[in-house]
Amino acid sequence: MSHVLLVEDEPRIRRFVRLALESQGCVVAEAETAAAGLDAAGKIRPDLLILDLGLPDRDGLELIRDLRAWATMPILVLSARSLESDKVAALDMGADDYLSKPFGVEELLARVRALLRRRRRDEATTRVQLSDGAVEVDLTRRTITRNAEPVHLTPIEFRLLSTLIMHDNRVLTHRQLLREVWGEGHSDRGHYLRIYIGRLRHKLETDPTLPRHLLTETGVGYRFVI
Amino acid sequence: MIFSFAAARQTGAGYALAAAAAAGTTLLAAPLSAFIDKANIIMLFLLMVFMVALRLGRGPAILASFASVALFDFFFVLPHLSFAVADAQYLITFLVMLAVALATAHLVAQLRQHADEAGEREQDTLALYEMARQMSGTTTESQVTDIARRFLQEVPGVQCSFWLPNDADALETLDDPYPLGDAKLARRVLTRGEPIEQVGMSGHGEALICLPLQAPMAIRGVMMIQLAGTEAIRQHHLLNAVASLVAIAVERLHYVKVAHQAEVRMESERLRNSVLSSLSHDLRTPLTALVGLADTLALAGNAGALPAQHAETARALRDQALRLTGMATNLLDLTRLSVGDQPLRCEWQSIEEVFGSALQLLAPALAGHDVRIELPAQLPLLEFDAVLLERVICNLLDNAAKHTPAGTAITLSARLEDGKAVIAVCDNGPGFPNLPALALPFVRGSGESSHPGFGLGLAICKAIVVAHGGTLELNNLASGGASARFTLPLGTPPQFEEETGEPTP
Repeated sequence: MSHVLLVEDEPRIRRFVRLALESQGCVVAEAETAAAGLDAAGKIRPDLLILDLGLPDRDGLELIRDLRAWATMPILVLSARSLESDKVAALDMGADDYLSKPFGVEELLARVRALLRRRRRDEATTRVQLSDGAVEVDLTRRTITRNAEPVHLTPIEFRLLSTLIMHDNRVLTHRQLLREVWGEGHSDRGHYLRIYIGRLRHKLETDPTLPRHLLTETGVGYRFVI
Repeated sequence: MIFSFAAARQTGAGYALAAAAAAGTTLLAAPLSAFIDKANIIMLFLLMVFMVALRLGRGPAILASFASVALFDFFFVLPHLSFAVADAQYLITFLVMLAVALATAHLVAQLRQHADEAGEREQDTLALYEMARQMSGTTTESQVTDIARRFLQEVPGVQCSFWLPNDADALETLDDPYPLGDAKLARRVLTRGEPIEQVGMSGHGEALICLPLQAPMAIRGVMMIQLAGTEAIRQHHLLNAVASLVAIAVERLHYVKVAHQAEVRMESERLRNSVLSSLSHDLRTPLTALVGLADTLALAGNAGALPAQHAETARALRDQALRLTGMATNLLDLTRLSVGDQPLRCEWQSIEEVFGSALQLLAPALAGHDVRIELPAQLPLLEFDAVLLERVICNLLDNAAKHTPAGTAITLSARLEDGKAVIAVCDNGPGFPNLPALALPFVRGSGESSHPGFGLGLAICKAIVVAHGGTLELNNLASGGASARFTLPLGTPPQFEEETGEPTP
């Protein structure tokens, strides 16, 4: 049974989110303001925090920063702002995923399930079989096979793939990926990231134009779905 | 002062006074001649000439010089009361006396004149300074020209008008009922940037001088002055000074206006942005509740808790709310784009990726169609705003899906052509009706058709493509069907270095 804290000022949105989560057997606590949310997060220690970015008393981004000072629980951000830069800022600040308003119940539940699953499976995944069954990755032995044939990845391609697998099912921003794979001070290498993602797709995806694992979050970053 | 030496200098009175001074000196010296030497009497006369030159100017001093020599000869040189000279040596005395007197008269008068001119210039400078001080506090152009006109009214025989360009760049005079010259003449001076002088036809020695108001950055207008004859030359430096003071004051007002307009523009942009983003937020919040609540109902229907008919209604509610969201987003984005204050977030990236994300987003709408992708293997990276370009491709694909029967093919392609990237969406449906009017905001293909959409879709596509430096073309294909194609400039992609490490086994 998972505990979810929902910080959202609009009661009708709280209502349907609560209904959806309870239908999945979650225990839901609600907070209307950032201050109450921070307070409740400290008391309840929820397994997941769902946070609206547009709270009346404080900027949601600040709340994420304060939470991340002591809490590691996944944070799912709800954003009514139309600009991608707000989502990027929330993710860079430490949020794990986002949903743009408006969103459907199934979309919400898919994100919640993915975040809670990752919470339980805490140790790093080292062996992965992609859902279509053709591709297997062993991170410790650095071997990748596709239809039992070895796939050769360059060091950067391999680093990129491992980073994505370690953070599967969550959005990594361009900046986060550049920092993880190329190191600090390479934020001007956006085109390298684009090129290497393209190469990985051509090596791993059945149809590189319509990827099923290495998904684009346009204007924000990438999401790896196993 | 009851008697003005300055006034006397101008008239014949000066000469009379000079003559009187000479006579007075003679009367004063006559009783003394028995006691003092003749050389000292000469000194008295020279002193008198000096005083006359100092007070009355050059002409009277020359008269006094000659009179002194004559009177000295007549009254003090033997034989007395006669111009005859007993001792021929006195002729030298007279010559020297005359020379010294004349030289004194000349030097003193010149000095005096310089002092007077300096005084006048000081007055002018003070007046100009005062005018500049007044102008520094002005807030409108008419205040500036008023001050300048009031200043020039003090100068006798001078009339003036100022021609300044208005907002429409037409030259006009401000609050001047009888302006000098005309707009055509003023325009000529403004374009040439040099003064024009016209000598009057009336024969009264009047001249019209047109001076460009030359400020540091530009010519700000034209000053026209009418002068009575000789004043013109004497006042030239003054007029030039007035012209440049007015020019500087007008230029200052111009830049104040420019700064103010920039501030207003910034403020209104800020306001517009905040209105747009709060509108977006305010619309999304109830729509989110609507979508979510309708979805909850529909899911309850799936679980059998609701009659099938009501569950269907709930799904329709959700779909319409989502559609409304799409329209609101389109509308807000078009507003942002059309006022030109949405900065593009351009990055070098592959078009393939945008194809993929657009197709993924539109998967439900395209489910009934046969989507084909034509993409050459080696397309270079392009520089674009991925979010906006994804919108263009989504709108074009959505348009194609809405206007063609299910089961038909939709082709999404990209290729290089004439140094540009060309991206096209083609279908084999009925094609576009009334082609030229499309891609303007709020124009739809065919009246009030049953197909949803504001006609906003194409307008946004066009705005986005144009913002990227490309063009959008809509065509009906000869083979039937519609084609929407747009171009993107290729540019020079940034450097890319291949890595050299060992690949994985």
